[in-house]
Amino acid sequence: MKKEKEILKWLNGELSDREIEDLKQSEDFHTLEKIAHYSAHLDTPKIDAQEALAAFKNRNLTKKKPKVRPLYFKTIYKVAAIFVVLLTSAYFLFSNSTQSFETGIAQTKTFKLPDNSKVLLNASSKITFNEKNWNQQRDLTLEGEAYFQVQKGKTFSVKTADGIVKVLGTHFDVKQRDNYYEVSCFEGLVSVTYKNTTVKLPPGKSFRVINNRIEKTDDFDAETPSWLQKESSFNQIPLHQVIAELQRQYGIKIETEKIDTTQLFTGSFTHTNQKTALESVTIPLRLSYKIKGKTIIFYKYEVQ
Amino acid sequence: MPEKKNSLCEESYFSDFYIKNIQSATNFAYYKSGDSEAALDLVQEAFAKIWENCSQIDFTKVKTYLFTSINNLFLNSVKHQKVVLAFAKDTPPQDKTNQSPEYLLEEEEFKIKLQNAIASLSQAQREVFLMNRIDGKKYREIAKILGISQKAVEKRMSAALKILKEQIENI
Repeated sequence: MKKEKEILKWLNGELSDREIEDLKQSEDFHTLEKIAHYSAHLDTPKIDAQEALAAFKNRNLTKKKPKVRPLYFKTIYKVAAIFVVLLTSAYFLFSNSTQSFETGIAQTKTFKLPDNSKVLLNASSKITFNEKNWNQQRDLTLEGEAYFQVQKGKTFSVKTADGIVKVLGTHFDVKQRDNYYEVSCFEGLVSVTYKNTTVKLPPGKSFRVINNRIEKTDDFDAETPSWLQKESSFNQIPLHQVIAELQRQYGIKIETEKIDTTQLFTGSFTHTNQKTALESVTIPLRLSYKIKGKTIIFYKYEVQ
Repeated sequence: MPEKKNSLCEESYFSDFYIKNIQSATNFAYYKSGDSEAALDLVQEAFAKIWENCSQIDFTKVKTYLFTSINNLFLNSVKHQKVVLAFAKDTPPQDKTNQSPEYLLEEEEFKIKLQNAIASLSQAQREVFLMNRIDGKKYREIAKILGISQKAVEKRMSAALKILKEQIENI
């Protein structure tokens, strides 16, 4: 077909009148013109748009809702609740975690608190404190005996069953045993609160409570508690307290026969030699001891 | 276009779209099937599909969607048959001044030839040719509706013309 491009343009209404005149001169255009003319008059079904629309609406079509994947909020809430519980409990469990140090019989332990304060724990003692809160609140709980070398800073308090010791930065020893409570200051100033009384201790002074009675104590001139040198010293202490300390340091059981355990003892015993220790307690009190299995019995020398 | 995509779901907008396109859509279906009743049914069904899925159809492509739907529905349902289109009764002869009986007879003969020739076109050629001739659509518009390139439309058009001319001149 000649002039194909022009013919296509002509059918698409893109030719000017002059170009159409040119096209008409071509030989076989006559037929094409006829085709174009008559084909345009082919009949098509005439649609009444409004009528068709009305018929269409009678079809009662329903719009398909776009697929919505429901969010299972209930499940999500459940899961979220579990997480909240887990997270909060984990927070309290771990962040408020209390750190504790414990010693058994005949054992001592040295450790540092988060602020570098040094703690020496004597036998059968326990310290608990809150590690996370330490910088805000230097509080710890003590059962037993410990020597503290406190770094300067905020108030440092040691809570025991018997009383509270508050210091700013000193070296001191706290001993809390059954019916026995003693605080000794080695450096700085220590404030001891026992029941309703508060006592300020300068270095070399002790505060002692035995059987709920405040006892008068002599000054001492040691620079550290004697137990740090593996020795227990006593200054007018009832014998049963001394025996209790012996039991703690050696892990032995001591019984007494017809002995007044309230009599006072002044002296010391070593932590390294059981025989020497037993002798250094018994001989000054004119006592003797015998070993019966795992038990050691103290008795009066004269009786035998 | 300024309208939002989901405006298709609004009844007034949809009705507007329906009124605008019902005739040419039906013609399109008619070129394919040659059956005016089946054509309207096809178109109604295609519109129904659009209405049901209005929220998912891209607003700018809804016209293409309509014609594609008609095509698919046609392929699925209507038996392929020879499509013979009738002329309108008041078809004017090309040369309105010539009223001689010979001329008119000649023209009537030509019309029959043309009818048969159009029926012999392939479906793709016929729909393009008739959309251009009857609906007066431009190639670009046809291309957009059918989802093909304008070049493809021109090729079909050209092939259709060639066949028509050959058929008419040979008989």
